[in-house]
Amino acid sequence: MQNTTSPTRPSKNLIIIIAVAVLIITASSMIPATFFSWLADRLNVFATVFLGIFVEAVPYLLLGTLASGLVEVFLDRDQIARWVSKRPVAASVSGSLMGIIFPVCECGVVPLTRRLFKKGLPLSAGISFLLAAPVLNPIVLFSTASAFGWADMLFWRFFLSFIIAVTVGLVFSIEKDSSNVLQTVLDSHEHTHSYKDLSVIEKIRQAFLITVDEFFDMGRYLVLGTTLAAALQTFISQSTLLAIGSGPILSVLVMLTLAVLLSICSTVDSFVALGFVGTFSFGSILSFLVFGPMVDIKSVMMYTQVFKRRAVFYIVAIPLMMSMLAGLLFNYLGK
Amino acid sequence: MKTTNLSFDKVAISVLLILLALVGITIFIGENRGVIARVNLTQENEAVSPYQKIQITFSESVNTEMAFDLITLNPVHEGYLEWADERTLYFVPLKPFALNTNYTLTISAGVITSNGDEIKKSKSWNFHVREPMIAYMLTDANQSGVWAIDLNGNEPKRLTSEDIKVLSFDAAGNGDFVVFTTLNENGGVDLWKVNRDGSKQSLLLDCEFDRCTVPSISPDAKYVAYSRESAGPTPDIPYGSPRVWLLNLQTGANNPVYADQQVLGYNPSWSPDSKKLISFDGLADLINLYDLSTNQQFVFPSNTGGPVVWSPDSTKFMFTIIRQTQQGFRSQVRLADLTLNETTTLIGENDDQDYGYYSLAWSSLEERAVMGFRLSESQPAQVLWMFNPARLDGILVADEPEYTYNAPQWDPWGSTLVFQQFRLKGVNAPEIGYWQDGFDAPKFLTNGILPKWLP
Repeated sequence: MQNTTSPTRPSKNLIIIIAVAVLIITASSMIPATFFSWLADRLNVFATVFLGIFVEAVPYLLLGTLASGLVEVFLDRDQIARWVSKRPVAASVSGSLMGIIFPVCECGVVPLTRRLFKKGLPLSAGISFLLAAPVLNPIVLFSTASAFGWADMLFWRFFLSFIIAVTVGLVFSIEKDSSNVLQTVLDSHEHTHSYKDLSVIEKIRQAFLITVDEFFDMGRYLVLGTTLAAALQTFISQSTLLAIGSGPILSVLVMLTLAVLLSICSTVDSFVALGFVGTFSFGSILSFLVFGPMVDIKSVMMYTQVFKRRAVFYIVAIPLMMSMLAGLLFNYLGK
Repeated sequence: MKTTNLSFDKVAISVLLILLALVGITIFIGENRGVIARVNLTQENEAVSPYQKIQITFSESVNTEMAFDLITLNPVHEGYLEWADERTLYFVPLKPFALNTNYTLTISAGVITSNGDEIKKSKSWNFHVREPMIAYMLTDANQSGVWAIDLNGNEPKRLTSEDIKVLSFDAAGNGDFVVFTTLNENGGVDLWKVNRDGSKQSLLLDCEFDRCTVPSISPDAKYVAYSRESAGPTPDIPYGSPRVWLLNLQTGANNPVYADQQVLGYNPSWSPDSKKLISFDGLADLINLYDLSTNQQFVFPSNTGGPVVWSPDSTKFMFTIIRQTQQGFRSQVRLADLTLNETTTLIGENDDQDYGYYSLAWSSLEERAVMGFRLSESQPAQVLWMFNPARLDGILVADEPEYTYNAPQWDPWGSTLVFQQFRLKGVNAPEIGYWQDGFDAPKFLTNGILPKWLP
């Protein structure tokens, strides 16, 4: 038997690649050049928007994860149990006001809440904290006041954020088994480390290690959410939205959509909202300022890491309906 | 566990359904209410400033032309409608609302948006003009403050706090507030603001080591022009020459009017339309006119630095000069007409003696101005002469022999005049007097200086 070598034949994959390349070149030669300049322009916009949102959000995520690391190391379950009431109303109210102690925006609040859940924070308190802390904190108080003055907008923003956070917290207090709404890894009954015997230096080192782990863990979802928000902002023109935003109903819907799409940090969103005064009604701007810090694309991506899908739906839908209701009430009956 | 789960979902979905129902009910009720209009008049038959801008806010964006058709003011008053945005409209009076008149603003029912949304029910608001006040300064060895008094004999009210020593002030044309100056701890002079009722006294501009003086509020109350003398680099170096600065009361922007540092400025004053700002350059003996709408600058020779008074339509102004003639120095009144681009001598061209023309005031009525002058060169006292600038005929309104008068100020309607009066013989406190149509002689109002209307 003669041993022969078969002549070298191009592999199937190579043929496919060449075919696809030929197809792309042929197709692109048929596409007008203006399309490519439009695409390049859109990509530039995408990159700018992406960097704008990401660079703004990253420091707050870092702060949130740092707070999370410190909570993990320096707080134990007993302390949480001592400080936070188990009664639903008290837990929701205290959770809503915890932002005064932990002034975090919507990027930082997610990892911190996740950590607090691990430490045994009641579900209702955690949900209320998650929704209220991005607004009910001293930084946002002063930024809103400097944009709108110590006047109606400031009061209603804080009051409504508080009411919505407490309401959603109370709804979640019905659920007695947190494992039904929290992702499995967050089951608060799981084994937790004890840092009691460590020195302060070692505790801080551990806190930083946890911070780094969590930062990269949550960071993935921040990148994903930011990409999505940037893509939507690139291809859905803000001016188009604004153009259809007149009328008491549409103005609220447009501002709620913008709140989700723009994904602006709650510490600076007042100044963006200030630009809409005159074009949009008080009610629609208020709904933007209340709903935006609770729900936007990047925060929803991060919520999915903490809660099961069903819970995420309620966390998004109830504040959405309540913000819409408030905006409509103001548009029709109020200011 | 399944039961618990179910009840959580049931509660959450129930809450969502309730919210959905509430949203539906709100939309149903709201749509049936139609477009709602609100007006910045907080109470029934509210007393307002004679120059009150009436703000109408609609609950949604409206069609401007349709809105015009639905708005009426009774009795009819000269003014214009100005849109701030698609939901907010202002009625800006061109002349002050009349005293002792009840006005009714009505927004009638009708279609007001391009989508066919309508105002379902007519609504009216009543208002009248509040009693005008006169702001003035009261000074003695221990205090210097701004006070306000009306013409009805009510007790005067102190507007500035007792611990503040006021150096100068101006009252807003709409009568809502007063801007005044006072020394700060650095030896500089700051600008402050206080409301017409003495409330909300606050620092308007911290001038640090500089001296910010003689504030002048634009008639539309958007700007304060003032004279600023910069502090030297060290305390032993004197202050720089005064320059005119402009503070925007809405944005806080604060800049010199003239970029050229050689243009000095003192005693700023505004045209009634708030578009032209005049100041006096004592070094160059020039009146500088700056047109804010065109950014153009004009100069008029004047060596007195005396008051510049504008015609109600902002096209002409009068000012005084002192001219050397063969018979000696003569004061004259010049009239600058911006539409004709010429300046002429209005009064004093051929005077045989110097009448000391100085104090001028032009009322909101074109045909009514007032001027202070001496009846003869030998008399120190000034009298006040009300005259028609077009015909130069008039009557003496304040000429009591034992008094001298100056600093006249017309009320917004051109019917009442307040002024400074000094009794010549003996040691007397400066007084404020007033004159109205129908008076044979001026009346004493109160002790004080620098009266200004606070309508």
